[in-house]
Amino acid sequence: MHPYVELVWYKAYADLRAEGARAYLGMLWWVLEPLLQMTVYYIVFGYLLQRGGPGFIYFLLCGLVTWRWFANSLLRGAGAISSNAGLMSQVYLPKYLFPPMAIIANFLKFLIVFLLFLAFLIFSGSALHWSWITLPFLLATQMLLIAACSSLLAAVMPFLPDLKMLIENGLTLWMFMSGVFYDITALPERAQLYFRLNPMATLIENYRAVLIQGAWPDWPALGIIASVSMLGIGAALYLLMRYDRIYPRAVMS
Amino acid sequence: MNDITVEPQPVLELQNVGVSYKRRKGLFKRERFWALRDVSFSLYQGESLGIIGRNGAGKSTLLKLLAGIIDQDRGQIRRATLRAALLTLRLGFLPYLTGRENAILSGMLMGIHRREIEQAMDKIVAFAELEGFIDQPLETYSAGMRARLGFAVAFRSNPEILLVDEALGVGDAEFRRKSTELMRQKIHSDQTVVVVSHSASVIKELCDRAVWIESGVTKQAGPTEEILAAYGDQASAKIPRRGKLKRPNVVSHITRNI
Repeated sequence: MHPYVELVWYKAYADLRAEGARAYLGMLWWVLEPLLQMTVYYIVFGYLLQRGGPGFIYFLLCGLVTWRWFANSLLRGAGAISSNAGLMSQVYLPKYLFPPMAIIANFLKFLIVFLLFLAFLIFSGSALHWSWITLPFLLATQMLLIAACSSLLAAVMPFLPDLKMLIENGLTLWMFMSGVFYDITALPERAQLYFRLNPMATLIENYRAVLIQGAWPDWPALGIIASVSMLGIGAALYLLMRYDRIYPRAVMS
Repeated sequence: MNDITVEPQPVLELQNVGVSYKRRKGLFKRERFWALRDVSFSLYQGESLGIIGRNGAGKSTLLKLLAGIIDQDRGQIRRATLRAALLTLRLGFLPYLTGRENAILSGMLMGIHRREIEQAMDKIVAFAELEGFIDQPLETYSAGMRARLGFAVAFRSNPEILLVDEALGVGDAEFRRKSTELMRQKIHSDQTVVVVSHSASVIKELCDRAVWIESGVTKQAGPTEEILAAYGDQASAKIPRRGKLKRPNVVSHITRNI
């Protein structure tokens, strides 16, 4: 294995270990924290706002689990360069190594929750569908989208530190636009068109189709998201390499 | 293979190099600040070059430049090798990980293969005197234990050009003697080394040649004796009451720099 590949994996593992060691319940929080958040949303939307119907719990969890993966990766990935200022000023490392460390750590955390969600779907009586075999493609598409968004953000953050203040609220807005809590197909035709420009809305819709309805994913839509994401990853790589030796100075001053 | 008649090629050559930082001044105002203005010198294979200058002369910026961490804004740098690295103790250490995990992570950040570190782990543990503690979390370590582990790992990194900043030895008295001695051996060996210090005694003990830097400009470069004489003259001229520059021995100087 190339030493850099080895390093990315080990650093992701080390950061996760350190994170787990920080609280009494340690890694249990990776499951407890999402459970708590999902309960809150379920109470608000299912009971207080009476949005629920039969199967609302599956509908909601499907959106939340995958959205959380996206949002947490972005929050952490965006600071991948800025938060490693100390390391960068002591040793030369190619800066494109930093976003993958954050992305891998978040993917592993997501995977635990996602597998639990699948188990919940199976054991609560929602049928197991053949369409589930397409899940790896859905996950891979979302992974590409996450890699593109978070490495692009990571690449510009050191020059625009104020962006940090906007990201969290931006993500909240994005969440409400992505159909986590409602069905986009229930919206008027014209509005749907705009919603489909949002890759996360499309992805969540596809997860629901595959996991709950047992339908096949919308391949062309996934293809478009994957291709645009790859362009984004290319652009991020270009920036990260171009400013490779500028970042240490930018985050220092 | 060994063509002695030819003038040796420098492994690193700086010509009129300058590095600037942008400093914040008010809400939208930025100010350019030149940490290095005009630095020129050459580094040759196998030598120990000392860089001397007072605090704020631009020494740490120069080290970052030599290590390839940052780029210059003006001037030229010619490198025969890209493998130059700062000797950094406790690089990337995380308090919640065990000593072993920290050793692996730190070593990998310095470019050592994971397998290599794991194979050398017994030696690292023995040298750092951490038998029985290596699988404990780093947060349970004393400052001395951390320093010893940091040194034991950092010493295994093997760049072609080793950049050393001031402190050579670390830890309690006995370990400091041990680590200082090892560093001395390494510097006097075939290893190409750049030592940066504000202390004439450190440079005098360790280096064949020296470069004197003052507010980001190379004042003089040449044999250590010559440079230190000039540096010392200036120091005594500036602080007449001191008479001449104090020259404590290296070990006690290092003690103050931990």
